[in-house]
Amino acid sequence: MKYFMNKSSKEIAGYTNWRKKLILMIIWGSFSIVIIDFICLNFGVVSIHPKEILSLLWGSSHDKTNSLIIWQLRFPRIIMATLTGIALSTVGGAFQGILRNPLADPYILGVSAGAALGACLAIFLQYATGYFLTPYLPLFALTGAMLSIYLVYMTAKVRYRLPLEGLLLSGVTVTFLFSAIITILIALSEKGLHSMVFWLMGDLSTANWNKITIVTFPVIVGCLIFFFFSLDLNALSLGEEEALHLGVNIKKLRLRIFIIGSIIIASVVSFTGLIGFVGLVVPHIARLLVGPDHRVMLPTSALLGAIFLPLCDTLARTIIAPSEIPIGAITALIGAPVFIHLLRRKSTKNGL
Amino acid sequence: MVCNDNVLKVDNLDFSYEENHKKTLSNINFSVSRGKFLGIIGPNGSGKTTLLKIISGILKPSRGKITVFGKELADLSIEKIAQFTSVVPQETSVIFDFKVKEVVFMGRLPFISRINGETIEDYEISREAMERAKCLSLAEKNIHEISGGEKQRVFIAKALAQTPQLLLLDEFTSHLDINYKHEVVKFFKKVLENDKIIIISAFHDLNLASILSNHLILLNEGKIEKIGTPQEVINEDIFEKVYGTRPTIISHPILHIPQVII
Repeated sequence: MKYFMNKSSKEIAGYTNWRKKLILMIIWGSFSIVIIDFICLNFGVVSIHPKEILSLLWGSSHDKTNSLIIWQLRFPRIIMATLTGIALSTVGGAFQGILRNPLADPYILGVSAGAALGACLAIFLQYATGYFLTPYLPLFALTGAMLSIYLVYMTAKVRYRLPLEGLLLSGVTVTFLFSAIITILIALSEKGLHSMVFWLMGDLSTANWNKITIVTFPVIVGCLIFFFFSLDLNALSLGEEEALHLGVNIKKLRLRIFIIGSIIIASVVSFTGLIGFVGLVVPHIARLLVGPDHRVMLPTSALLGAIFLPLCDTLARTIIAPSEIPIGAITALIGAPVFIHLLRRKSTKNGL
Repeated sequence: MVCNDNVLKVDNLDFSYEENHKKTLSNINFSVSRGKFLGIIGPNGSGKTTLLKIISGILKPSRGKITVFGKELADLSIEKIAQFTSVVPQETSVIFDFKVKEVVFMGRLPFISRINGETIEDYEISREAMERAKCLSLAEKNIHEISGGEKQRVFIAKALAQTPQLLLLDEFTSHLDINYKHEVVKFFKKVLENDKIIIISAFHDLNLASILSNHLILLNEGKIEKIGTPQEVINEDIFEKVYGTRPTIISHPILHIPQVII
C-alpha cells in the first residue's frame, strides 16, 4: 500500500507503459495504413488523378472504367495484401514465441507446403486433363494445408504431448516431403510451369471481394485470439520449465497456437500463394520498435505487416508494368537485406 | 499420520525417468513445516534437482505421494500449483530482450486473468519484490545485459512476486559473489521470518547450506543418506561414505555451526 500512497497510482515502476505504447502504435498504425493504402491506389497501368480516386471512394464520381479499376482491381488487391500482411506477421510472431525460436516463420510448421502441393496439383491436373480447375485452386490449396496440419500434428504428438523438437522436426519433414512431390509435378508439367512458379512466389493478382470476405473472418478473429495468449507467450520466453512454474499449460498453449495459426495461414495462403520473409522479418522489426512484450509486439507486428505488404505488392505490379513480378520476390529482396542488417546489429547480444 | 495445513510432507516417494529403469529417487520420506528452511545436499547426480522438480509438480512421482498444506499435489493442476509455489531456477535461457521489470512482473502471471488483465496491486507486488531482492535499480535494464549474480537476484525477485507459500531454490548460489552470499543469508532469514513460508533449496555449497538450513537432507544415489539438523548431518564419517573422501569439519567461529574445509 505504501507505493500506492506515494506514487501516482498509474506509474508504479513504469508498468503501465505497455498500454501507452499499444495505444500509440494502434493510432500510428491505423493512420499509416490509410495513407499507404491511398498512395498504393494511385499506382497502376492506368493513371487516375488522386482527386478522382477520392471522389470514386466517396461515391461521388460515376466514371465506369475508373470505378472498375479502383473498386474491382486495385482496392481488393490492396485489402487482400493488408489482410495477408496481418496474418503472416502475427502468426510469425506467435510461432517464434511458442517454438522459442527467433528464426521460425509461419511456414515452418508445414502449412505452406501442403497448400503449395494442393495448388500445384490443381495446375498440373488442369493441363493434364484439360478441365478448367483455376477457380477451384484455393480449395485444392486449403485441402493440402489441412492435410499437412494433420500430418504434422499426428507425427509430433507423443501421447497427447506436443514436444518442441517434435513439432519443429515434423514440420520441416512434412515440408521436405511435399516439396519433393511439388518438384516432381513441376518437372512433369511443362505448360503449367509458369503458373506454378508464380503461385509458389506469391500472387495477389486474383484478389476479389469474395475472397476477401472468406479470408477476413479467420484472419481477424484468429489474430485477436492470439492477443489473449500474449502473457503465456511472454512466460514461455523465460524457458519451458519457467513457464510451467508460472502455471502456463505449455501443451495446450502450443496446440492452440499451432492449430489457430495454421488455419489463419491456410486460409490466406490458399488465395495468395507463398509470400516469404514477411512472417520472419516483421516480428523482429516490431520487437526492435516496441520490445518483446507480446501484448504490444503482436499488434505492432500485425500493423507493420498491414503496411509492408501492400507496399511490396504495389512495387510488384508497377516496376515492370504491364508485367508483374511475383510479390514473394519483392518481399525477399527488401526483407533479406533488412534482416541481415538487424542480425549484424544484434549479434553482440544473446536475445535477438 | 498427522495431516497438517502447515506442512509439506513427502511419503514413500520413488521416481524413475523411464519405466523399469533404474530409480533416480527411491523411498524418500520427510516433512517440513512453515517458517523452516530445508537444504538438500549430495554429490552430483544424487537426485537433488529431480526431487525439486517433483515437488514443483513438473515431474510426476512413480510411487508415493506429496501433501502440500493439506492438499495432495497429484490432484492439483500446474495452474493451481503456481499460485502457491515458486521456483528460482539454476540456469535460465531467456529468449528476446525483456527488461528486468518485465521478467519480475511475470511472477504475477498465475494470478492475472487473461481477459481482464492485471491490476495495480500486481504492479505494486512486482515493485516491492524488486526492492526486497535489491534489484529495483536494474528495473529498466535488458535481462541479457546484466551479470550472472544480478540475473539471479532478478529471478529471486520474480519468485517473490509470485507471493509463494513454498519457495524452491535450485543451487541458486552458484553465480553469487561472497558479499552477495552474505546478503542472501540475511535476506532469506528475513523472508522466512516475515512470510512464514517453506523454503526448500538444493545446494552445491555445503557451508552455505549449513548456515541457511534448519534441516538438511543428504542424498546419495537417490536415497536419503541422512536427515537432520546441520550438526547431525555434516559429519566426517557420513561424508566419507558419500563423497569418498574424508573432509575436515570445523565449527563456524561466530555462528557455531559445522563448516566443511578441504
